[in-house]
Amino acid sequence: MESVEWLVEQLDKLVKESRDYKQKALLLSTKKLIQEQEKRKEQLSGELDGRLWSPGSWRE
Amino acid sequence: MKTLVILSHPSIGESGSQQFLIQSVNDHNHVTLHHLEREYPDGIIDLKKEQNLLLQHDRIIFQFPFYWYSSPPLLKHWQDEVLTEHFAYGYRGDKLHGKEFGLVLIIGVGEKEYESGGQEGFSISELTKPFQAVAKKTGMTYLKPFSIFQFAYKTEEEKMELLIAYQQYLSLKEADSLKAKEEWMLKQLEELSYDTIPVDEAPFIIDEAISMLEDNRLELDELRLHIDHYAD
Repeated sequence: MESVEWLVEQLDKLVKESRDYKQKALLLSTKKLIQEQEKRKEQLSGELDGRLWSPGSWRE
Repeated sequence: MKTLVILSHPSIGESGSQQFLIQSVNDHNHVTLHHLEREYPDGIIDLKKEQNLLLQHDRIIFQFPFYWYSSPPLLKHWQDEVLTEHFAYGYRGDKLHGKEFGLVLIIGVGEKEYESGGQEGFSISELTKPFQAVAKKTGMTYLKPFSIFQFAYKTEEEKMELLIAYQQYLSLKEADSLKAKEEWMLKQLEELSYDTIPVDEAPFIIDEAISMLEDNRLELDELRLHIDHYAD
């Protein structure tokens, strides 16, 4: 998690420093995409936990 | 994949949103921008030229301001002239079959107004039915429209996100898929020019971002695999 925060900060820095508008947009969207992946990972982990704890799968 | 953007706007020079979108298109994106009012100021359309353009592209986009719930007059005229029988429909009229058809709509009113109970009262899906019918009749796959509401009120960050989403709408096979967006982004990052970033460690940071995008994808696929396993 720490490395995600570090990378987000670094990408923010590049967005600020870049002299090309389209490049700024690309770097910003890279950050957003990584954040979206992190969110999906959390959601899927939650879903997996839910399935592991489902009483239906305790019978075996 | 090659994309043709058929742009219609009677006063494009005064439109901040249209200028923004035109500037957003990357040269290497296999996108052709085709502005009807500039091409045909007298309104006389070259049928053969237009049909040839359609044949050369896989994804056809109509981009226009959503005036009175429809397109500007020249784009309607273009449809009347170009989408002819035996070309777009009817006997042997299968030249557009299998292509994709999408709309980029520039809308001055807020998104929430285009809901039942909103000021406009009808949804974009309802109001764009004639375009959906064109796609159906010509055998094209209708894409979800790319609607831009109240461009002028967007923050700088929102505009930047819009720029990338628009590029993806024009060039991505599945514009809604996270995986497709990741692949697109990786390709862009690998081609990034560092001349415009005065930061020494920029290549290192970008390498880290690429690794993270790839590692996250592996993790996401693995999680999905486990979930599917337990779903059986």
